[in-house]
Amino acid sequence: MKIARKPMKADVPSVAMGDIAFNLLIFFVILARAQDDTHVRWEPAKAIGVQPNASSRVSVVIDTNGKIHLNGRQIGEVQLAEAIKGLLGSQPEGKRTVLLKVHRTAPAEKFEPVIEAISQAGGEMVHVLNQEVKE
Amino acid sequence: MRTRRGLSKLLVEPAAVATGDIAFNLIVFFLVCASSQPSTGRRQDLPSSEKSKQEQQNKSIEVSLTRSATMVTVNGDPMKSVEFPARIVRLLSQKQRPEDRVVIVKSTPDTPYQHWIDITSQIQDAGGSITIQREEQRTEVVGQ
Repeated sequence: MKIARKPMKADVPSVAMGDIAFNLLIFFVILARAQDDTHVRWEPAKAIGVQPNASSRVSVVIDTNGKIHLNGRQIGEVQLAEAIKGLLGSQPEGKRTVLLKVHRTAPAEKFEPVIEAISQAGGEMVHVLNQEVKE
Repeated sequence: MRTRRGLSKLLVEPAAVATGDIAFNLIVFFLVCASSQPSTGRRQDLPSSEKSKQEQQNKSIEVSLTRSATMVTVNGDPMKSVEFPARIVRLLSQKQRPEDRVVIVKSTPDTPYQHWIDITSQIQDAGGSITIQREEQRTEVVGQ
């Protein structure tokens, strides 16, 4: 007579699901930070009639100290045009948007060369601004 | 004694599975809170340098900006910034061809961005297209 063995359970503990989700999230957050510039300090200028921005692969920031950052990494004025050109690659028109974030008090000697570099690289420039509220 | 036994049966620990979900939701919440950068802006098309040089040969409107946010110079004529929108609309209305509607913007090195964006936005709203003219910066070493 055969003794029927009790079937053994081999379930994955459901507690681990939360940990897996957590690790996946951290992985994607780290991946996303490669193009992130949230750590750069700048204060946007205000303007009337601003529109929602299209998504963009390239963003240039001039921070409170007048330093230039391309996709969150500090870069020199001279290398900027070539670097933007490289990032835009052979994207067609309409997909060559470059977000320009300039600190509101930055002087023309800082932002004009950046505007020129974006233009040289064939980028479609969008100034990131806040909506001006008139009282 | 009977009462105590009844209470111990009611104390049920929350499922450990839920802690992961709580952590996940907390992270999503803080990520959403952290991304508070503005998502609005203004598109600006600058003509390519060759094209703009050709256009500059024609008689274009010239706007000069300085550090002072209250003053603007249009074709050499200084005026208050509040008077500028009406003036630029009047000047551009005289120009019919798109290539004549180019406005050359000259700024002193200390012109703040806020002032620059105010004026260039007004030019765009009036139907003008902007060209930046920068002074070439040259460093010359004078004999020691």
